[in-house]
Amino acid sequence: MRTADRAFGVLVLLALGSSVVLIALVATLLPRGFALVSGGEADTASVVAVLVLILATFGVSLGLTSLFRQLLATLSLIRTLLSRRVTLSRRVGDLAASLDLTGRIDVVRDVRPFSFCYWFRRPRICLSTGLIKRLDDDELRAVLLHERYHLHQRDPLRLVVARYFAAGLYVVPVVEELVEYYTVQKEIAADQAAVRAMGGVRELASALFKVLPDADDVDLGLLVPVGSLSATEARIEQLVDGRAAPLVLSPASIALSGGALAGASILAFTDGLHPALLSMPGLIGPASLLLAAAASGAAHQLRLVVLRPAR
Amino acid sequence: MITTVSDDVRRLKRARRGGPNAFLGPLETAVMDRLWKRRQATVRDVVDDLAKNRSLAYTTVMTIMTRLHAKGLLVRDRDGKTYVYRPAFTRDEHRARLSRDLVRGLVDEFGDVALAQFTAELDSVDAGHRAALRRIAGKEPKA
Repeated sequence: MRTADRAFGVLVLLALGSSVVLIALVATLLPRGFALVSGGEADTASVVAVLVLILATFGVSLGLTSLFRQLLATLSLIRTLLSRRVTLSRRVGDLAASLDLTGRIDVVRDVRPFSFCYWFRRPRICLSTGLIKRLDDDELRAVLLHERYHLHQRDPLRLVVARYFAAGLYVVPVVEELVEYYTVQKEIAADQAAVRAMGGVRELASALFKVLPDADDVDLGLLVPVGSLSATEARIEQLVDGRAAPLVLSPASIALSGGALAGASILAFTDGLHPALLSMPGLIGPASLLLAAAASGAAHQLRLVVLRPAR
Repeated sequence: MITTVSDDVRRLKRARRGGPNAFLGPLETAVMDRLWKRRQATVRDVVDDLAKNRSLAYTTVMTIMTRLHAKGLLVRDRDGKTYVYRPAFTRDEHRARLSRDLVRGLVDEFGDVALAQFTAELDSVDAGHRAALRRIAGKEPKA
């Protein structure tokens, strides 16, 4: 639990810190941009300023568009599922009551085994009839305890906030990696809460095992994340021997993030785009660091939007 | 990588449009049912079987079976002039494949922005992790 909270803390701090730097930068650049647009002299500094501003606007709006689209899609998923809501069976009702979850659970008719926690202000838990049918009482209790953790923590809201940071701060790619890490840590924390309450891992592990997809999915051409543990594998390791999944940040994204923030700080907090800075070697000095990160971030955002086409 | 992803998205889109039986149409389902019952059959066998309930032209059934073969759901061996077809998966395997794709589709297609899930991303669990989970779940087959 503490790891997840710590990750969220670091995420918020990093996000706020980066925002301050980037907003300061925009504030510095805007006057130059305006000057250029309103027919001022087109020196290198103004052109760089406008370029940075355009890239920033482009990236942030792409990121937010993608986030907004996903949000809408999620809401429509929830709506579709809830249209197939059925009344709680006695079994589920009793379980809910014993876990203090009365009135917070929706059961939907669906053969697929799933459960999730949703909604922001007053989260609810959604269970499919397919899941309920597959699990015995203890396993179902363990799953509900897992979801109850998400519910008490208001995790749907936290996740959206985290994703919002990642979308807005696309020039600082470590933010996105932190968000991924945080998401996995949240699942692990929810597992641990369930394990503590059940007094052992058996029921939760058994529930997880029952809903795992089959092993022989080699020829399906489905996505296989390369080179890292999947979220489920990280959860299993934690359940099996309490081994914590390490936070792995890619060197490239650390370099890009550091470069972008350093470049932005220099540009924002020194004398704007001082000619001396611009004449530094390496293209256009600090601005090039920022541009590199912005270009890479924008490409990433673009990929997200392209790969998740509107329905 | 990118082509895999977009293929994937396309597949899931297609899958979602038609609900749980999306991969198979009603005739395809009827043919697969016969094949699962008989374990192996020629087109003629299937036509005769189905003739009890509905009359379908030989060529219709042949087209369906060829398509199922192309989809990888049937395998066939040549026996003289005719093909003998067998299901590539048992009924349960097929169902598992379908439900796995759809659960994944749920998240992949809609995004998981506002959801914190128990069954979030139950993909790509390698054999080692699977065995470990099985062990602590107390489901190890007795030696």
